[in-house]
Amino acid sequence: MYNNIYMVFRRLLLVIGFLAMFAAGFSQEVTLTGSAKTTVSVGESFTLTYTLNSQGTDFRGPRLTGFDVISGPFTSTSSSIQSYNGRTTVSVHYSFQYILQANREGTFDIPPATVNVDRRTITSNSITIKVMKTGTAQPGNSQGQQYGNSQQQSNVQTGPNDVMLKAYVSNTNPLQGEGISVTYKIFTKVPVSQIMFSKEPSFPGFWSQSLTKEKEKLQQYTQVIDGQQYIVADLRKYTLFPLKSGRLTIEPLEMVCQAQIKRQSKSRTGDPFFDDFFNDSFFNTSYTPVEKSLRASPLVINVKPLPSAGVPGDFAGAVGNFTFHTELDRTRVKTNEAINLKCVVSGEGNLQLIDKLNFTFPPDFETYDPKVSNDIRSSEKGVSGSQVFEYLIIPRKPGKFILKAVPFSFFDLKKMKYVTLTSPEYTIEVEKGTGEAANITYTGSNHEEIKYIGSDIRHIKNQAFDVRKSGEYFFGSLAFLLWLVIPLALFFIFIILFRKFSKRRSDVVLMKNLRATKIARKRLRKAELFLKEQKQEEFYVEISQALWGYLGDKFSLPVAELSIDNVKQTLISKQVSEDLIQNFIDTLNNTEYARFAPGEKSGNMERVFNEGLAVISRIERELK
Amino acid sequence: MSGKLNLPVFYKGLMIICIISLFSFSLFASEYQLQVAKGNTAYSTGNYKEAVQAYTSLVTQGLESTDLFYNLGNSYFKLNDMPHAILWYERAKRLDPGNEDVTFNLNVANSKITDKIEPLPEFFLKRWLRSLTDLFSVDAWAKAGIAFLLAALALFSIYIASRVLVLRKLGFWTGFLTLVFSVIFLILAWTGNNSRMTEQSAIIINPTVTVKSSPDEKSTDIFVIHEGCKVLLVDHIGNWYEIRIVNGSVGWVDMGNFEKI
Repeated sequence: MYNNIYMVFRRLLLVIGFLAMFAAGFSQEVTLTGSAKTTVSVGESFTLTYTLNSQGTDFRGPRLTGFDVISGPFTSTSSSIQSYNGRTTVSVHYSFQYILQANREGTFDIPPATVNVDRRTITSNSITIKVMKTGTAQPGNSQGQQYGNSQQQSNVQTGPNDVMLKAYVSNTNPLQGEGISVTYKIFTKVPVSQIMFSKEPSFPGFWSQSLTKEKEKLQQYTQVIDGQQYIVADLRKYTLFPLKSGRLTIEPLEMVCQAQIKRQSKSRTGDPFFDDFFNDSFFNTSYTPVEKSLRASPLVINVKPLPSAGVPGDFAGAVGNFTFHTELDRTRVKTNEAINLKCVVSGEGNLQLIDKLNFTFPPDFETYDPKVSNDIRSSEKGVSGSQVFEYLIIPRKPGKFILKAVPFSFFDLKKMKYVTLTSPEYTIEVEKGTGEAANITYTGSNHEEIKYIGSDIRHIKNQAFDVRKSGEYFFGSLAFLLWLVIPLALFFIFIILFRKFSKRRSDVVLMKNLRATKIARKRLRKAELFLKEQKQEEFYVEISQALWGYLGDKFSLPVAELSIDNVKQTLISKQVSEDLIQNFIDTLNNTEYARFAPGEKSGNMERVFNEGLAVISRIERELK
Repeated sequence: MSGKLNLPVFYKGLMIICIISLFSFSLFASEYQLQVAKGNTAYSTGNYKEAVQAYTSLVTQGLESTDLFYNLGNSYFKLNDMPHAILWYERAKRLDPGNEDVTFNLNVANSKITDKIEPLPEFFLKRWLRSLTDLFSVDAWAKAGIAFLLAALALFSIYIASRVLVLRKLGFWTGFLTLVFSVIFLILAWTGNNSRMTEQSAIIINPTVTVKSSPDEKSTDIFVIHEGCKVLLVDHIGNWYEIRIVNGSVGWVDMGNFEKI
């Protein structure tokens, strides 16, 4: 607005200037003229120009109060030769320029500047500048507003608010998982070209999706901010889902563009009419491209955590409003036939973040990772669509299997609470398929390794177990010692007793030997008794047994081996004399003979008894 | 004839001793079965605090058993009290070093504590002897030793008494072999008992314990160990114990920080 008024004013002056020039002719006078905008706002930079229409030295600038000198003074010179009606005028122009910035509110006088021309001191006019509050002249708030860096070497300036980059957030206090949109807009008063994004925004802590398509032509529209008309274009649009709670900062978008700024004249005639005339856009249509770096200010998003009360066990971060639907294509199959399980989550919210469902299939089923496809529409209003999980299941073993119900939980933003949807439970009947062996190639055997799903300690000992008094150890106890000592003692007792017994057993022969005479005598005494009683039969039996028994006992001969020959040989081996052996054998023969011979026996009995007694006694003596 | 009668008498005597000792082991078992059953039921229904109480009441009565300590360790484990779980597993292991379940659960519990200390390598013979000793409890070794001794004596008796040459030879050599085994078992029981009597270990109960350079609160901090860490008690002065951890580091710790196994 201000510019337009200024423009009209300048054109008016130009026309008046022309008329004046013709009237007054060219009366040259050395002047130093200061000029600047009369009204500025705090923080605005503007140009203060002193123009000298002659050659001058020792320019002394004014003492500036209320303004900061950003740069200057620059000195520039121009000379022009004018030929008009045969008169030629050579005019030299000096100009001294400051770029100033108002730093506080108020009305400030800029005192005159001085310059020496031909040893004369020329004094300029003083200028009064009214500095106004920021905001009255400046559109927009401080957020999102950046000052362009004045990189140009020339005196070309762009106003701080000519080009702006701003970021808009739909909601600065979302819940964790709630979608928000961020839009970066460019506001410009001047034509802008060659937009280059030097830094794309980054969204740490967010899941982000860009809504602007590449190569899309920017939609332009106009918007009036604080009475100033701007051309606005949406540069970037994003949908964001906060992944965690807390203060999250979005690193801003940075861009560089070429702002087309109208050139300000370097050559000044000192005559404002001329200046304005030639500097008018009608004559001077050239624009100077000025590189501007723009940066939107960082956005701070306060993400609220989801309520901690009543969180379902399977909650995996889904926030929004969803429906859950599962579909099993068949429930009766044969082994090795595939079953399709389709799960659809549809609705509004952070759909893309739902990456899996907690299906647990029976272990004898061969399963694969689900095929995930989605149909998602994103707009500023949010993200909606559906996420589809397709599971391929192949039962390998026949039987009846139950596919457990699977819960799907999300946080409902409208109801502000957790909602759990559950799939139906499916029963799958698997029959034994035919040609199983032909279809399947087993590598190696069809044994399967046990799959470990989790780890835990082993269960307690449930059966009854014995306890004992603590500190009671078997080792070193009395029982232990007794167990050690008693068997050893018993063993040694056993050895001792066994030794004794076997020694005695080896003495049996001697004992029999000793007893032989005793038994023989006993028998002879018995025979003597029968002799007195004249019992012939008993007498001969006793005598015979006395003789044979004596030999048997004496030489440890078994009864079966008792014969004349044996007796003879045994006696010879025992070194009994020949005649005694003969005597003994004769006695034995006589006894047998007398025993079985008929006739008178009483006389013989007496003789046989005496012989037997004599021969035993003799052998006894001989063997000792 | 009296020598032949001696052998049956000998065996009869052994049998009587056997029966008496077995009977004495199981004498007071039945009285505490109720308490054990109470603990087991509490554990199975997930009431671990009650299980701990039931088992602990048996322990305070001065009773012990590998299974009892094992169950108590399990209850503490389920209560997520790792230091006590480890303590009771270690106590169970002390009674029966070869128990597989105890070793398994102890390893699981040890994997859940803060400290992971690399043990110092031991001399291989010592390590072998230790692992051999730890196969069974001291009492199991002692019983095995005695059983083998009895077998050896019986076989020697056959050698002595038999008049058949094959039996005599067999009796002598098998008797000799079993006697060697018996001696080995008794030696293992003895070494196991030795380490049980001399090596006193403890489990750190407090969450974080600073080990000092000397038995004094003001002395230099050497290192920090955490709950569940097993330490060997080397020496003690008053309430201060000199401890050694498996990597060989030594320091002093106040008594309140650990519980003896």
